[in-house]
Amino acid sequence: MEKKSLIDKLEGEYSGRRLGLIVSALISVLILIASLPFVNWFFVKAADVVDIMKLGEDADIASGYTTYNFLSFVGESGKGILGMAAMIVFIWAVATLYFHIALIVKVVLNRKNKNGYLGLYQTAKTAMLFSTLLSLLLIGYMVFCNKQMGANVISLSPIVYIILVIALAAYIVLSILEKREMSRYKEHGLFKEIKKNWVLFLMLIPTFIYFLINNYLPMIGSYFAFTNYNFRDGLWASPFYGFKNFEYLWKSDLPRLIRNTVGYNIIFIIVGNVLQILFAILVSRVTVKWFKKTSQTLMFMPYFVSFVILNVLVYNFFEYNYGFINNIVTSLGGSKIDFYNTPSYWPYLITAFYIWKNIGYGMVVYLAAIMGIDTELYEAARVDGANVFQQIRRITIPLLKPTFIILLLYALGSIMKGQFELFYQMVGKNGVLFGVTDILDTYVYRKTTTEPLSIGPSTAAGLFQSVFGFVLIIVVNWLVKKKNSDYALF
Amino acid sequence: MISIEKDNSSSRSKIKKATSTRVFEIITYILLALGSIICVIPFIMILSGSFSDNRAILVEGYSLLPRQFTTAAYEMIFKAPKDILQAYKMTIFYTAIGTTLGLLMITMTSFVISRKEFKYRNTVSFLIYFTSIFGGGIMPWFLMYANVLGLKGTAFAIWFPALMSPFLVILMRTYIVGSVPDAITESAKIDGAGNFRVFTRIVLPVLGPGLATVGLFLALGYWNDWYRSSMFSTDSKTWELQFYLYNMLNQASAMKQMAQNTSISTKDLPTESVKLAMSVVATGPVLLFYPFVQKYFVSGITVGAVKG
Repeated sequence: MEKKSLIDKLEGEYSGRRLGLIVSALISVLILIASLPFVNWFFVKAADVVDIMKLGEDADIASGYTTYNFLSFVGESGKGILGMAAMIVFIWAVATLYFHIALIVKVVLNRKNKNGYLGLYQTAKTAMLFSTLLSLLLIGYMVFCNKQMGANVISLSPIVYIILVIALAAYIVLSILEKREMSRYKEHGLFKEIKKNWVLFLMLIPTFIYFLINNYLPMIGSYFAFTNYNFRDGLWASPFYGFKNFEYLWKSDLPRLIRNTVGYNIIFIIVGNVLQILFAILVSRVTVKWFKKTSQTLMFMPYFVSFVILNVLVYNFFEYNYGFINNIVTSLGGSKIDFYNTPSYWPYLITAFYIWKNIGYGMVVYLAAIMGIDTELYEAARVDGANVFQQIRRITIPLLKPTFIILLLYALGSIMKGQFELFYQMVGKNGVLFGVTDILDTYVYRKTTTEPLSIGPSTAAGLFQSVFGFVLIIVVNWLVKKKNSDYALF
Repeated sequence: MISIEKDNSSSRSKIKKATSTRVFEIITYILLALGSIICVIPFIMILSGSFSDNRAILVEGYSLLPRQFTTAAYEMIFKAPKDILQAYKMTIFYTAIGTTLGLLMITMTSFVISRKEFKYRNTVSFLIYFTSIFGGGIMPWFLMYANVLGLKGTAFAIWFPALMSPFLVILMRTYIVGSVPDAITESAKIDGAGNFRVFTRIVLPVLGPGLATVGLFLALGYWNDWYRSSMFSTDSKTWELQFYLYNMLNQASAMKQMAQNTSISTKDLPTESVKLAMSVVATGPVLLFYPFVQKYFVSGITVGAVKG
């Protein structure tokens, strides 16, 4: 009864709807405090664990753990299979924290949009739902742990249960509030949307299945980056290894791989875009039709060649004994150049072949943008006496900016992802050149195909790639959005 | 564009053109001709090399024109064509099924996320784009197909992973948004057409260039792929054509290595010209096919943002 009257009160006046949000933000603050790193969520009977796992005296098992350092318990106890579950709980906990912080920030800034408080309610609901599910996950995890250890050695702090109750209650109240807000703005929820547009949802099902199998489910495998894989224990039960794979990578190959991957990508972006824009402008200015079409066709041709053919080609050009280049060099009276054993040539060669292969494609992308420019602009400029160079500088190039920014943002998102096929087919297994040609992708591929035991380090390298690219693009997109939301990618 | 062309060539007399325009035109033609030549030379080299005598290549090196014209390399390839025909057959199969299914899925998805009335269009397109900036990496991806689903060695593992790509979905979405005005779909809905009818009767018929472009990218991806065979194939029956070629190259270089170590003359191995002839055989269909689709390209490739 009391709950209902409370909702009516919240509903009654305009500021009352805001009150509901302030209450949820306060709950968020409470949950955040409870999730601070020094609050223990797990209690462990350390002595029992040492007994069960037959650990030595020096085993460093604490009696209490937080969500964040529970992974170290998994490592100390040597029970690898708990690691994957701990990892999922950890990722879920981080996501939950994110939504709570987002809610507090939004409520403090009072971010309203055209649908009143609907956006805020949705954030609040998500945060509470995540908290509720986190608590349930933790309970499930405790049961799972105890079953794996064969004794009741782990128990949860009462905080978890309190959060469960509060978050669930808040979620229910918010749902009711949201429903009323929805009817106020004639919005509707997921189920109504499915009912209304069921055909559209149906059309998405194959896509959903595809991305689930090909992209989303393999993400769980990121866990392997934190394990020390061995055949005996298999993928999921291999001992937990913490960040040691990353440490190992950092000490051995990672700095060189990052330098190469990012360095090449930056050069590709700069040189590639400049040349593509240049040639797009040139082609757009050609008035002889057959010349325009032919040059476009010919320059696009390399894009259609597979990288295996590129491999053949590069070999024909730079082979020591009868390669095309050495042929010319010797016929000019010079001495043969040993390309395949001289690393210093390769950054230039790789860049040249990248340009060769991609110039036609990028050119067409920019050409499409140039074709979209209103011809009246050029007419007007001509009437005003602007010559070709002025027209290009003042009209064409400024109007290519949106296309350039979008391409740049997409490229930044994958700055840690190298052009794998280009490097692998050009250099292959030629270890002499690895110093300047080995990128993250070729490294991971080599490890994946030739060293079955290196699942840990190679997953770690891949995960590093993903996280770096992801953080970079989120930050850059946020900056772009702040400056001019038209240019933002999402 | 057309009006500029007319303006430059006919209505304006050549004398009136400013000198800067003349200079610019000359530079334009020179640069484009140069660019085109650089892009084509390697193709000519491969073609002429494939018609050269192997010994001539080894003695005198590669060149732009065939040395001692012969079709021996092609004869050699088709003397025992069983393996290469199998690779051809498999590649055609992968390309056909992958392009058809992929094109269908990409078009449907792009249609859905282009609809203004679909509330979750931005969420869905972000979830699709997200896969291109974040992922488990190659290792978990490989283990997913090989160990979890147990698909190692099947044809499915080769064509399925390349069905869709976020880039192509966004390309298609941008194209649909640009070529189907909201007003048309709105009025169709008012006339009582359902979503599926709008898709098949209104959107699909005007998607020509978009379908051609995305279809070509998909087909190209399948035709040129060697990577998935190197990951998932357990025997040569499921090899893709490019992987067959790649494997041949590796064998050739291994044989050469062996020959050098055992001091057999490398000139006895018909490696070089056969390699080039194989390259021609593997690339030919793509290059023959491409000019027919080219005219759709400029209107088909417009890159847009993730949000809509």
